[in-house]
Amino acid sequence: MWTRMSDFDRMFQAMDLLQSRLSGIFEDYGRFRPTVSTWGITEASPRTNLYDVGDRLEVKIEVPGISKNDLNIKIQGNYLEISGSRKSDTPQGYKAHRIERGESTFTRSFTLPSDVEASRVEAALKDGILTLRLPKIEQAKPIQIAIG
Amino acid sequence: MNEQKELALKQENLSERNRQIPTVAPVVDILENDDEILLFADMPGVSREDITVNIENGRLALSGVRKMSTAGAASWEEFGEVEYRRVFSVPQTINIGKVGAELKEGVLRLRLPKAEAAKPRQIEIKAS
Repeated sequence: MWTRMSDFDRMFQAMDLLQSRLSGIFEDYGRFRPTVSTWGITEASPRTNLYDVGDRLEVKIEVPGISKNDLNIKIQGNYLEISGSRKSDTPQGYKAHRIERGESTFTRSFTLPSDVEASRVEAALKDGILTLRLPKIEQAKPIQIAIG
Repeated sequence: MNEQKELALKQENLSERNRQIPTVAPVVDILENDDEILLFADMPGVSREDITVNIENGRLALSGVRKMSTAGAASWEEFGEVEYRRVFSVPQTINIGKVGAELKEGVLRLRLPKAEAAKPRQIEIKAS
């Protein structure tokens, strides 16, 4: 059954293509949907990327408008949990024409592909993207095998 | 099927010749009071030098390109390089010389002050 998923995937790709065309014609089309693929599962939590860089893992998360004080990162073994809240930055005394950003809170948790050293994790927040560098534990690091 | 593909390719070349990365509309808040219009747009990952704001003929065109430097093999990737682009209609009465822009935590904040002539004015009635 799962082997047929590629068909669905292709269908969604076609729909995305059509959507991007329509977006080109009508400015309004898809306006309220910030995600790149509007046909996929809609997510309330921020989008993330995970990269495996040999001896460490790197996680990137989109968190626009959230200051570092409003972000919480928890790590235990290979379990990573990120939560945060976005406060409204709407100033008082203004009439709102359009509010699409709003307030939100989110929690997202992952099972990482390997255990990481929680004490040596680095986190950096730049331009609304949170980057985590998670060093793998010694046993999980790749080992070069010499050919004898 | 093949013909369709060719047609699709042709169209692609016409409208999106120089664009390899996808374009999305950023989510925005638009606020107004008597003195100014505020426009806040979420553009995570876009640096200051990759944002352009053009105002002319009552059109405000916003564009920001997110460049990503990535290393290693992606286990999953839910976002990537993208161009945030959106066009708004703004009143002609905006004082273009005094438009302010600020980028913080991936949010672009534009402050569009209204020209003096466009501000509402209380008219005092003089006793004759």
